Amino acid sequence: MKPIAAHLLTLSLAGLLTGAHASDAPSPFSLSGFGTVGAVRTDKDNRLFRSSTEQVSGAGTDFDPTVDSVLGVQGSLILGTALDLTIQSVVRKGVADSYAPQLTWGFLRLQATPEIVVRAGRMRTPFFMYSDSLNLNYATPWVRPPVEVYSLNPFADLNGVDALYRTPIGATDLELHVYGGKSSLDIRNGGGKLQAVRGVKAALSISSLTLQAGYARSNLSIHWGDPMFTALNNHLFATGNDAIARDLSGNDSKGTFLSAGFQYDSDRLLMIGEYARRTVDRYTVSAAGWYFTAGYRFNSLTPYMTVARQIQTAPVTSAQSGIAQLDDLLSLFNAMRNKSQSSLALGARWDVARNVAVKTQVERIQPGPGGLGIFANDNFRDVVDPGGPVHVLSISADFVF
Amino acid sequence: MRPLRALLLLVALLASSPIQAEILVVTSNRSGPIELTRDQAEKLYLGRSTTLSDGTPASLVDLPNGLVRDEFYLKLTGKNPAQIQAYWSRLVFTGRALPPKEARSLIEARQWLTDTPNLIGYLDRSETTTGMRILLRLP
Repeated sequence: MKPIAAHLLTLSLAGLLTGAHASDAPSPFSLSGFGTVGAVRTDKDNRLFRSSTEQVSGAGTDFDPTVDSVLGVQGSLILGTALDLTIQSVVRKGVADSYAPQLTWGFLRLQATPEIVVRAGRMRTPFFMYSDSLNLNYATPWVRPPVEVYSLNPFADLNGVDALYRTPIGATDLELHVYGGKSSLDIRNGGGKLQAVRGVKAALSISSLTLQAGYARSNLSIHWGDPMFTALNNHLFATGNDAIARDLSGNDSKGTFLSAGFQYDSDRLLMIGEYARRTVDRYTVSAAGWYFTAGYRFNSLTPYMTVARQIQTAPVTSAQSGIAQLDDLLSLFNAMRNKSQSSLALGARWDVARNVAVKTQVERIQPGPGGLGIFANDNFRDVVDPGGPVHVLSISADFVF
Repeated sequence: MRPLRALLLLVALLASSPIQAEILVVTSNRSGPIELTRDQAEKLYLGRSTTLSDGTPASLVDLPNGLVRDEFYLKLTGKNPAQIQAYWSRLVFTGRALPPKEARSLIEARQWLTDTPNLIGYLDRSETTTGMRILLRLP
């Protein structure tokens, strides 16, 4: 993570140097940031709530500040009339509970024509509606983006290029976004890769309404490394079930990500809805998710409700070995990757100050069927028997600076 | 008790009533031939456009947080301070656009808009100087 720190330091120094001059012209450097201080708890100690599937630990019946809290710092440097550099680093509990700073943005941006922007470097995978601002809770009514949709893509980073084309069509604004690149993700004792990612996204804004749709394809490799997988994999090879083993992990899968959504944001009424789908050939489950949010602004207070659901459309593998003990392990392996759940959330956003929003949210989450949803649990066997609903209480303060 | 309550009410009313002064969108006299319509100004200050009608890149100035800034955005875009903050946060932190350059003080903004060519900014009418040219009036 040294390079990020070095880049930020360089940018900061550039800012200090330019800022030290008399202020007869604006500095080409700007520094800004955002963050969330949050705490969350559930009503069950054996259902640990996580804000992403990459987190290993989660919140039980004690308030846990590590699930939602996040800090991001961003520096931008204008290099020319049409060229600038942006670097963003984020600290939060992520993959395998690591707090290592992540380079979330690090790109050169060229304003090629008045309508076309081209960027190259580290970006966010823009598969779904809020994918490029998942850490920026200040900009949304929720405590966090609905996990039913946003857990469908754990690959957050994109190393590549993209182009944004923006043009007015009468009173409508059209934005077309095309991108390509690759992405990788560390998981405990393993890893995943998206290669040859190529996607397109279109957004249409008509006064208070924005409609958005996106589609992306990619090659997918996943290598699981947890003890349960290793045991299962060894058994499969030992019993001649190589074909099944090749469905669980390897370098030869393809995936598609599809999403369609809308935002309606008038003076008072606020509505957001999105449907998203991940389809893969093998190595993990195929699933679909959606949510709908409605809120109403009473001056600085915005109460809202959200209904959301994720369903599995295909398990990792439906093959059977014919060996009872092995098939039992296979169904457990499938269930551990099934994040199906449905939820109802009631919450409120309170804009306490210009740059600060305080939020609270109560959710009733029914995990399953066939898995524990977003919850973590030490007991393997619970994933095939998720039980009744879990209630989750969240309190947070979001800020930008 | 009564006079005090009446006084408090008056103070509250004065404090909550929007300022009625005119806001002017201006540039330095040293700037090139900049033309700006209200529609263009709105697009620029919402990050929906980054160039003037002739294609030259526009550099924008923001005042520090305060009443004139809030009034400017409300008049030009119809968005209140919280909405505009959330809106620009999304643009900036998704790498879509760079925000207008925020001056540290009104004095600095006036200095920029007087001395630096080709910047566009806004000021309360009473704060403009003779070194500036008026591009747009927001009554």
